[in-house]
Amino acid sequence: MSTTTKFGDARPGIGAMSVRASAPLHEARISIRNLDFYYGANKALKGINLDFPAGQVTAMIGPSGCGKSTLLRVLNRMYDLYPGQRATGEVMMDGENIIAPGMDLNQLRSRIGMVFQKPTPFPMSIYDNIAFGVKLHETLNRAQMDERVEWSLTRAALWGEVKDRLTTSAMGLSGGQQQRLCIARTIAVRPEVILLDEPTSALDPISTLKIEELIDELKHDFTIAIVTHNMQQAARCADQVAFFYLGEMVEVAQAAQMFTAPKEKRTQEYITGRFG
Amino acid sequence: MTDHIVKSYENELKRLRALMTEMGGMVENQVEQAIQGVVQRDTAAAARAIDADPAVDAMEHEAEQFVIRMLALRQPMAQDLRQIVSSLKMTTDLERIGDYAANVAKRSVVLSQFSLSFPLSGLAQMARLVQENLKMVVDAIGDGDTDKALLVWRSDAPIDDLYNTIFRELITYMMEDPRNITPCTHLLFIAKNLERIGDHATNIAETIYYAVAGEPLTGARPKADSSSFTVVRPAGI
Amino acid sequence: MTGASQTIHASGPARDGKIADRLARKRRFQNHVVQGLCLFATAIGLAFLVLILATLLHLGVKGLSLGVFTTVTKPPGSNGGLLNAILGSLIQTALGTAIGTPIGLLVGTYLAEYSAGSKLGDAVRFVSDVLLSAPSILIGLFVYTLLVTPFGGFSGWAGSVALAVIVIPIVVRTTEDMLRLIPVAMREAAVALGAPKWKSIVFICYRAARDGIATGVLLAIARIAGETAPLLFTSLGNLNWSVDLGKPMASLPVTIYQYAGSPFDDWVQLAWVAALLITFGVLALNVLARIVLRPRS
Repeated sequence: MSTTTKFGDARPGIGAMSVRASAPLHEARISIRNLDFYYGANKALKGINLDFPAGQVTAMIGPSGCGKSTLLRVLNRMYDLYPGQRATGEVMMDGENIIAPGMDLNQLRSRIGMVFQKPTPFPMSIYDNIAFGVKLHETLNRAQMDERVEWSLTRAALWGEVKDRLTTSAMGLSGGQQQRLCIARTIAVRPEVILLDEPTSALDPISTLKIEELIDELKHDFTIAIVTHNMQQAARCADQVAFFYLGEMVEVAQAAQMFTAPKEKRTQEYITGRFG
Repeated sequence: MTDHIVKSYENELKRLRALMTEMGGMVENQVEQAIQGVVQRDTAAAARAIDADPAVDAMEHEAEQFVIRMLALRQPMAQDLRQIVSSLKMTTDLERIGDYAANVAKRSVVLSQFSLSFPLSGLAQMARLVQENLKMVVDAIGDGDTDKALLVWRSDAPIDDLYNTIFRELITYMMEDPRNITPCTHLLFIAKNLERIGDHATNIAETIYYAVAGEPLTGARPKADSSSFTVVRPAGI
Repeated sequence: MTGASQTIHASGPARDGKIADRLARKRRFQNHVVQGLCLFATAIGLAFLVLILATLLHLGVKGLSLGVFTTVTKPPGSNGGLLNAILGSLIQTALGTAIGTPIGLLVGTYLAEYSAGSKLGDAVRFVSDVLLSAPSILIGLFVYTLLVTPFGGFSGWAGSVALAVIVIPIVVRTTEDMLRLIPVAMREAAVALGAPKWKSIVFICYRAARDGIATGVLLAIARIAGETAPLLFTSLGNLNWSVDLGKPMASLPVTIYQYAGSPFDDWVQLAWVAALLITFGVLALNVLARIVLRPRS
């Protein structure tokens, strides 16, 4: 574990490149094999193979419409809400193919939480926002629930700011606070994996940094997948980065490798801003 | 490689490359003048080499500022990042080469006061090799040519060999006649400086290779400098 | 950056100052004309509203007395009140709302949340929209054949059902519209926590759409509180005291209809009072709703 921490800490420095070579390979929490995805007749993901290492942040980058968000929505089966969308292939988690029919979706979604682009606080109190998700999966008494609310808000670095107004409406929070509330709400369910779909694109730079710091904190306990349009954000947050283009995964590499010396020409062109 | 979407960024990258080639050219010229000062005993050339130094230092400063500006404002990635960071490293190497050239020139002025009883053919040969390498590496900066960089990287060993020979030669001259000690000491330093210039050219070659290819040149650098052990070689080394 | 924009300016086509001035003058003139027309139209609309309210107040207030609220309708010249009509209106409106709202809410929910792309959904929405604009006398006739004829007589029940039929499409429309206004992200967020669909609708969507739906229900109440036509064929009206839903029942609109056209001055006066009561009752309800549903921060 100490090696892992050192690796994470060393990431922004140039030294990370040498540390990376000796860092142990993390066990894959989710393994995607030969995944295809269709919006009706339109094939949006083509033969994706990708591992999400446990306790690491995997960032997915690429131009709009490249399939990165689609991939995220495959992982928690969000696409099931919409008729005409389907996935084939394997997404293995704990020896189960989570895209196979017969999967208990509500239970799956309690194990794989998701935070969206725009903050989506529910129109209820801060406390109830968190209790809502917890109540879906657990029966807690009042004291236990209080404890869970405090725990999740603390983990989401929001407790100090809201502890005196837990019963007020969550709609009254600032955008950045709302997004951290959404993260708190997600981790309150105690998932194993957290999916973040452009979580800071609607936030100001300081709120963005707070979320990024949070991601750094959370990755010790959760496996995190983040979709972002912000290359610097991927560089700052991610251990592993995957580049998508036109529904294909062009390249996946450790962040330091990806942003200093990507292998594929298309990746290079995209991340340096030379996209045709 | 396609052009950058932001034209001003593309222009800045081009300007950085131009700055590096220009600085390379200045240093190349400075080294040439210094060597002329030694080999042809041309004090005017030596003076030009010494006078050129402040301009090279100023150039280093300019390139450094430009690189810091680009890092802060453009947040470069991938090969752009490598090019920009490499430029920073190369200015340092080029500036050191300039310093060594100026030092060679200064010593050549002192040297011109002495009449030498031995030929400088070995040193001239070494100077030629160093100049060739420097020229090739400066070309490689301009073209981003990894083949040239590799060639420079591989051809540092002959320079080191020559340096060892010259070292032994000069020690012999000093042993033969104590009056040779002063000029030979200067010549020793001159040879050492030329050898260092060769090393810095090799550094630059490695930097270029990383900037262009994206991976460091692996394997031990071909080195043949054994002058440290010329007279007495301790056991076990 | 400024350098670049200046270059564009300098190399672009030249700007003719005179033409620009003329166009600017023309634009200002057009602006004044349109603004004037808008104000004029607003003034006409408001004038009618004020006139109606003024007439209502002028003619209604002078007939107001405690007796209006404590006495039932009586023959002309015998100091009758409106107690049975007021109570009948309250009962039938409340009952109509109570029957119509849950049905409308569920249909609206079906349309917004479950009917995506289905033919049934389109059909239901179409029928509901037709019903929304159907003449209310038609609804009265419909309930007449459905409940009055088979059960042998006019009744408060029939009146309430007729009003409920008016309530349903209004609530359907507002419920569907309000639910559709809720961002997809909010539903997905609930589902992403592992909530089944019905829980996300009941606990999240209804809550988010609460104010809008409540406004729709209030609109429906305001509408049925003043309806006469559907009641004529159903609860008929009753000049005597009756709170029995199985019997014909009095109501304010029907009383207005019957009294206003009568040759007796005291009846006409009572009709104005009834109109005043309906108008201000609905107004009070709206104000109350605004206070209750005021957004809290």
